Amino acid sequence: MRTKRMISSIVEIVIGVALVACSYAGLVDEFWSGMGAALLVVGILQMARLIRYNSNEEYREKIDVNNSDERNRYIAAKAWSYAGYVHVFIAAIGTIVFRILEQETLSMLCSFSVCVIIVIYWISYGILQKRY
Amino acid sequence: MKNRIEEIRKERGIKQEEFAKTMGVSRQTISSLETGKYNPSIFLAHKIAVYFEMTIEEVFIFEEE
Repeated sequence: MRTKRMISSIVEIVIGVALVACSYAGLVDEFWSGMGAALLVVGILQMARLIRYNSNEEYREKIDVNNSDERNRYIAAKAWSYAGYVHVFIAAIGTIVFRILEQETLSMLCSFSVCVIIVIYWISYGILQKRY
Repeated sequence: MKNRIEEIRKERGIKQEEFAKTMGVSRQTISSLETGKYNPSIFLAHKIAVYFEMTIEEVFIFEEE
């Protein structure tokens, strides 16, 4: 697991550097340089955390407890659940508001977002129903 | 669900940090359990009961809602 994370952070750093370099060379636009910079920062931070995890026993213990702590997992699941509800609610209101403001594209995007979340919910429910 | 974790822990002179470490959970989890904000899984309830050398019913007070 740690090896996988180390590999993923190295890949992120390499892609990040490549994108930033390509941007300086004028091969890609600013969007990709921004994406590259973000990947670079995330990769470096992830690697720093991994190095600290491997070298600092106290930190490793703290991280392991936090990752396996059942209350933390419960809170994370609840937070995702609330995030889903709030997203659907906001997108549903957005659909109506943008329709009133005659912003057809934005209204469609909002309603599409609601549909996608509902389809993902149905699929997840079906999979979880079989598992439990 | 009420429980006697805090009472039993204090009786035995165990600190929250020490108890949390033994149970493999965070100190916040023990604090939430003691205040009744969080109900443990059956695995954690069993682990706590075994640690105190008691039955689950002696530690946790089940109340019909």
